[in-house]
Amino acid sequence: MRDVAVVAFAQSPGTAADRQDDMAEILLPVMREALASAGIDRSEVDFWASGSHDFHEGRTFAYIESLDAVGAWPPISESHVEMDAAWAAYEAWSWLQLGEGEIAVVYGVGRGSLATDLDQVTNTQLDPYFLAPLRPHQDAIAAIQAQALIAAGALDEKQMAEVVARARAGAVGNPAAQVSGEVTVDELLAAPYLASPLREHDRGPIGDAAAVMVLAAGDTARRLAQRPAWVRGADHRMDSHYPGTRDLTRTDTVGIAADKAARQAGFAARDVDIAELHTGYSYQEPLLAGALELSGAINPGGGPLVARPTTATGLIRIGDAARHILTGRADRTLAHATNGPALQQNMICLLEGDR
Amino acid sequence: MSTLPTPVESFTSPHKVDYTFVAGTGRSTFLRGLKHRTLLARRCGTCERVYLPAPEFCSRCLVELSEPFQLGGSGVVETFCVVNFPFPGQTIDPPYLVAYIQVDGADTTLMHLIRDVELSEVHIGMRVEPVWCADEDLDTSMNSIRYYRPIAGGSDA
Repeated sequence: MRDVAVVAFAQSPGTAADRQDDMAEILLPVMREALASAGIDRSEVDFWASGSHDFHEGRTFAYIESLDAVGAWPPISESHVEMDAAWAAYEAWSWLQLGEGEIAVVYGVGRGSLATDLDQVTNTQLDPYFLAPLRPHQDAIAAIQAQALIAAGALDEKQMAEVVARARAGAVGNPAAQVSGEVTVDELLAAPYLASPLREHDRGPIGDAAAVMVLAAGDTARRLAQRPAWVRGADHRMDSHYPGTRDLTRTDTVGIAADKAARQAGFAARDVDIAELHTGYSYQEPLLAGALELSGAINPGGGPLVARPTTATGLIRIGDAARHILTGRADRTLAHATNGPALQQNMICLLEGDR
Repeated sequence: MSTLPTPVESFTSPHKVDYTFVAGTGRSTFLRGLKHRTLLARRCGTCERVYLPAPEFCSRCLVELSEPFQLGGSGVVETFCVVNFPFPGQTIDPPYLVAYIQVDGADTTLMHLIRDVELSEVHIGMRVEPVWCADEDLDTSMNSIRYYRPIAGGSDA
């Protein structure tokens, strides 16, 4: 394995709806901040990878607009994934592992506010024969998973409220957060159901944001960052398309991805100081923490339960996990990203700082 | 030998998605100009390129463009084609002519219709001018310019 690290990360402030900036305008200040933080010029970047979704933007090839904040002239080497930008980070990491270059920039633009009703979009990703014609809301599919976990004795509503209370308290002072503040478990449990057993606060608020990550290999990484966040292991696994074929109380894809990543990294999920989990819903935190046997802190800044900028959310998990190492707050961290309904596809990254 | 059952060939499941489009700061500057019957260009201070329409920053140099300034609107046909085919959603009866127009003073081209002329007379290098809509129809929209037409007595560029 080649030494590949996150050397810089930046993201725009959390906002429910950015009505001022187009895709390039929301990205450019974040791109400048990340490149300046790494101390590099764009001419030094060997590869660019990004993630966003046309269905969220309402236009075909919508992401091309973001290249105006990258500078596609003279021509560059770039790639795009039509999903969460965490998968663009995985592509760039693999590209550097293959020895194709020294520096890669990954960015994600998530604009969840453009679709008037995001459920109209998420329906289009479902099985088109048996599920999409029924138009299930994403919150309803999540609630089905949460209910199954409660019935299996793996979860209760108080636990979910505790996760939300801790996330909102942790988000105080976090500029990326859309919601924050001290709130009691009793107050949360008094709120009405959205889709039982889920309440409004049990889902992360959808919003708009851009995020940019700089990855570098070997000595280049050591030159660009005082303490690079080495991505020691990364793997992702996908479950079947139709949720009806799955046992929703199990997260086998998380376990397999974590095992594969641990084998690469030489340490496991249970060994990390901080885990950044892509918990779009509160119930997912105990489920993931159990599957990963986590013992350290989880989403100390609030995580997706305080800001969920759609296709940038997973990349921000990796960025936050890296920042804990870049700033010296932790030695080993984990990032989890997910895609699809009810934790269908999962990625695990294990990061480490030099000691 | 048994035969396979006839597969289902179709069922209907129409998806409808509603969006809010965000024009952005750069585009908004240009679109507001159209409402006031003006074509607003912006220059890159680094590469000197003049954009019309202009984004917020130069896509080559990645620096903010200059304050907007007005161009007259007349220009030259850089290339064109005649659309002869009908298609769903078409708003004009074919045949009609669409052109790339390099407006005087701009380094980029504007796309619009060319009318008020025999289609066979349009050629690359022909000088053209905008025909604006009536005052009451002016809007933050490309439709504030109805089309371009040859400049009467205008010589080629």
